[in-house]
Amino acid sequence: MAERPSPYPLYVRKYPRGWWLRRGPYLRFAAREITSMFAAITSGFLIAFLIALGSGPSAYAAFLRLLDSPGTIAVSSVVLAALLYHTATWFRLTTQILEIRLGRRVVSRATLIGGLVMVWMGASALVAYLHVWF
Amino acid sequence: MASEERTARASQSPSPSLADVLDWSDSRQVVPRRRRARRPGLRSLPEVMAWALFSAGGFVAAILLPVHVAILGVAYAAGWLPRDALSYQRIHHLANNPIVKLYLLVLIALPLFHWAHRFRFAIHHQFGIGLKKLVAAGCYGAALAGTGVAIWALLRI
Repeated sequence: MAERPSPYPLYVRKYPRGWWLRRGPYLRFAAREITSMFAAITSGFLIAFLIALGSGPSAYAAFLRLLDSPGTIAVSSVVLAALLYHTATWFRLTTQILEIRLGRRVVSRATLIGGLVMVWMGASALVAYLHVWF
Repeated sequence: MASEERTARASQSPSPSLADVLDWSDSRQVVPRRRRARRPGLRSLPEVMAWALFSAGGFVAAILLPVHVAILGVAYAAGWLPRDALSYQRIHHLANNPIVKLYLLVLIALPLFHWAHRFRFAIHHQFGIGLKKLVAAGCYGAALAGTGVAIWALLRI
């Protein structure tokens, strides 16, 4: 059924532009949305790395020279901090959604967080081993 | 129906009476209940896919991206890696493995879809821009384009 057109103006609440800057929880919500930007930037960076790798040894060497600078460390540290913030909020969020039952017992949130941190550390160690030392 | 007549009358007269307003508001409240309820748990396929990619991407970004940034962005420039850890021969050989290629595709593409879903709503929430269809097409389109470029980059290695 189509909605009848309104004979009276509808009240639509107007938000000020910077509503999300006003309170802690709003700001953290915005921070979660904005840290996803850094995940996309990292994807773009990895694509650039692969394109350099596919373009032959000299292009790859040029890309590595670009990486080998204090500026890269500074920028990467900011990106890394944002990604770790994302990791922390994602784990928190996951344990609020996920409920695992073992028989009659429900796995506690602390155990779940611990499990996720273990998975994260294990995956990171495996990637680092294959990437650097294998 | 009396209320219908009143509504019709009210839309012509410049100042409606309180009774007209209340009638109209009552009639509006009834309308949604007459609609056929959507089966619980059933959503449109694009919505389900966007959500699944968003959540998988969030997981990949949380668990796998930090270590890559730490290695390539920080540890290499700081000189913490062994001498030929990132040598062309070694990395080229590693990236030639089909399993590694698949891993790299997942590692790159899923966070892009995670970003697309979040950024789509950030445009509405933080920047106060409407244009829902255009924004959705732009965000998911960008993620798809990035995935395409990643596939191309992986295939030419």
